[in-house]
Amino acid sequence: MDLPVQILNSLNYILVLILVAMGLAIIFGLMRVINMAHGEFFLLGAYTVVLTDQAGLGFWLGLLLAPILVGGIGMVIEYICIRHLYRRFLDTILATWGLSIAIKQLIIIVFGPAGLMIKPPLPQMVSFMGIEYPSYRLFIMAVALVTIGLTFYIFLKTDFGLGARAVIDNRDMAAVLGINTRKMYRTTFTFGSALAGLAGAVMAPLMSCDPQMGLGFFIPAFLAILTGGTGTLAGVLVGGGAVGGADSLISFLYSPVVSQIVVFSMVIVVIRIRPQGLLGTKSGR
Amino acid sequence: MLKIENLHASYGGSLVLHGVNLSIQPGEIQALMGRNGMGKTTLMRTIMGLLSSRSGTITFDGQPIQNLRTHEIAAKGLGYVPQGREIFGDFTVWENLHLGTLKLPRNQRKVPEEVFDYFPILKERKNQKAGSFSGGQQQMLAIARALVTRPKMLLLDEPSEGIQPSIVDQISEILKKINAQTGLTILIVEQNVDMVLETATRCAFMEKGRIVETCSMEDIRKDESIITCHIAV
Amino acid sequence: MKPSRFHRLVLRLVVLLIFALFPLTGNDYLTVQLTQYTVYGIFAMSLSLLWGYAGILCFGHAIFFGVGAYVMALITKGMVPGFTGFLTSTWVGLVLAVLSVAFFALVLGYFLFYGRLSGPYLGIVTLAISVILERVAVNWYYIGGFNGLTEVPALNFFGWEVRELHALFYFILAVALGLYLFCDRLMRSPLGTTMAAIRDNETRAEFFGYNSANYKILIFCIGGSVAGLAGALFATVTEFVSPTIIGFGFSTEVLIWVALGGKEVLLASFLGAVVVRILEAFLSDLLTYYWIMILGLFFVVSVMFFPRGIFGSLLSDRK
Repeated sequence: MDLPVQILNSLNYILVLILVAMGLAIIFGLMRVINMAHGEFFLLGAYTVVLTDQAGLGFWLGLLLAPILVGGIGMVIEYICIRHLYRRFLDTILATWGLSIAIKQLIIIVFGPAGLMIKPPLPQMVSFMGIEYPSYRLFIMAVALVTIGLTFYIFLKTDFGLGARAVIDNRDMAAVLGINTRKMYRTTFTFGSALAGLAGAVMAPLMSCDPQMGLGFFIPAFLAILTGGTGTLAGVLVGGGAVGGADSLISFLYSPVVSQIVVFSMVIVVIRIRPQGLLGTKSGR
Repeated sequence: MLKIENLHASYGGSLVLHGVNLSIQPGEIQALMGRNGMGKTTLMRTIMGLLSSRSGTITFDGQPIQNLRTHEIAAKGLGYVPQGREIFGDFTVWENLHLGTLKLPRNQRKVPEEVFDYFPILKERKNQKAGSFSGGQQQMLAIARALVTRPKMLLLDEPSEGIQPSIVDQISEILKKINAQTGLTILIVEQNVDMVLETATRCAFMEKGRIVETCSMEDIRKDESIITCHIAV
Repeated sequence: MKPSRFHRLVLRLVVLLIFALFPLTGNDYLTVQLTQYTVYGIFAMSLSLLWGYAGILCFGHAIFFGVGAYVMALITKGMVPGFTGFLTSTWVGLVLAVLSVAFFALVLGYFLFYGRLSGPYLGIVTLAISVILERVAVNWYYIGGFNGLTEVPALNFFGWEVRELHALFYFILAVALGLYLFCDRLMRSPLGTTMAAIRDNETRAEFFGYNSANYKILIFCIGGSVAGLAGALFATVTEFVSPTIIGFGFSTEVLIWVALGGKEVLLASFLGAVVVRILEAFLSDLLTYYWIMILGLFFVVSVMFFPRGIFGSLLSDRK
């Protein structure tokens, strides 16, 4: 395979990984909740597209529906389950873990355990600069870039983002200034889930949709956050780039199994040397 | 304005407030003094809803607030400047101030000019990161930020801590000016006797989680030993 | 409701009695199943040591179990180059299984605990390892790949082959009891108190001069080793090892057993494993795919409302 094509594929993977990791990082940064079900939100997004595809409603409706649906599910989960656990940090991990099992099993019940394929909606190839590249992959990258850009804009330039960053920095003081932290949590969780759902939906045509695909994105996303640093949005970019880039490159050069081992070791070493991540500022937390 | 009756609260598992009774009249500046560990900060945090009370009532402007959430208490008009300032260091001065306006509807979110009148230095350094300010400047920012929320009453926890005396005087003057011009009720927790004498009209003393005495500044000026007996180590 | 010491002792003896007398019911099939579940119980106890007593949350606990099982299988099947004759005996197999897992835990612990990796991060890192190891095992043809290894020799002590189902059952039960007493003693010793102090407030423990990282590594090794031993026993009892026992799914299962049973009490965790497995055997025909989903939801409910676990409150001696 051509190197330029491979580089584009890597970019593709990196961008989607960042999309997933961003949702996870925001939820963690703001709510101090590690959402173990985040991979399953990705899964739900993908299967939304499978659903619309199977129902004959086409891919595009599924893509549109996925973030809304998954965001909605996230909101419900936050309301029923997570908001009771805010003071119990470790328990939120376990509870979301349990939910991830239940959700995954639900998918298996409804869709069966085998992998399902959907036809890519933009099957044409695009040629530029001497390479032929699937236009759908370019579409994915565009969607990812726009969404990432939008997220950064919201967090850095809007009042809502300012309030969110204040809550991340110092929850008590934010509340003292009149910011409704509970509502902020709900909105954040919904938003983070929607991001994962969108990522899942947009990736669905490229992968075999099987119930294990959630974990396949959750772990690298989590490793990306560890590497880049918790508590900074920019850290997600760096971590996602590092983990995603290394993973796709080594997979291509050697094999996915070797890549997993190498990338994982790389992350462990980074953490060992710099526990707060490459861009992280606060220690621990 | 603020009336606390028989308030009990715990912190970290042990009971810290053992039936606090305190009342503050509208428009007055009252000080709260006491040695370290007597429960002053716990009292402030409980009033603001950052800690939950075990029993007792807190009434603000005629309404009970002991069971409300912090942002609801802030909405009712209580402002809080905590010990250590706790400004958002990574945000600029302007962002810090703007945060105070977020609870208002979108079209009313403007930092009142008066705030800049009281603290002109903030206007000059609007875009500077708050973390790079000196202690005194941070304190001014913290007070200004609280004022942006247009409170009816302001709680300050050890505003003079770690700040040079000349700035402390400045802050004291500004607080008195605000109180005189707007009738803002103020409760100051302080260990700094001079600042208390300068600023407050009444003073309460806290010991082991209870208010043990209240007196006016007149009484203290006549008899300094009142203070020494309550806060000397 | 804090049960008295006498109460708790009685409860424990009752459980022991039920187990000991079970084979006498004559139900051979169930006795064989129960033997396997007892091994799972030992595995659960090892997680309870790490999680309930030391506060180390491990999402990938099966890595220790799986490595122990594979080492036992490979050694006793004579598949490790250089290990022949006596070196393929049960003794060597068991010792090496435990030692290799202990070493693995030591290295892992060194990286994790000195990396200041706390609580949840650590848990998820172990999850990642579990996923990786499972993939490695699937892709490694020599150790059986996806299908694993079969015909793992049974336990053999000086020629006494522990194969007959009653003998095997009592042997495993005895081992479980022995390990239980060992772990229990350990947690009541000064080491146990130190671990509890570190679990409850690590910074405070460090102020008192305890190097918490070293203690965590130690308990990580002990917990890992017990899991490894359970794995080795599993290999001989079922005569079979495969990548599933090293991977993510099994790690999740043991976490559920321990959470539902009661992570803070060894016996509660043990019972959690056994009871959940028994229920699964009965109900999974009825509920098929729904069983796992229900289990997951039960887990969530237990985390939210019963952090002590179902058996935990009955058996606990903590306030």
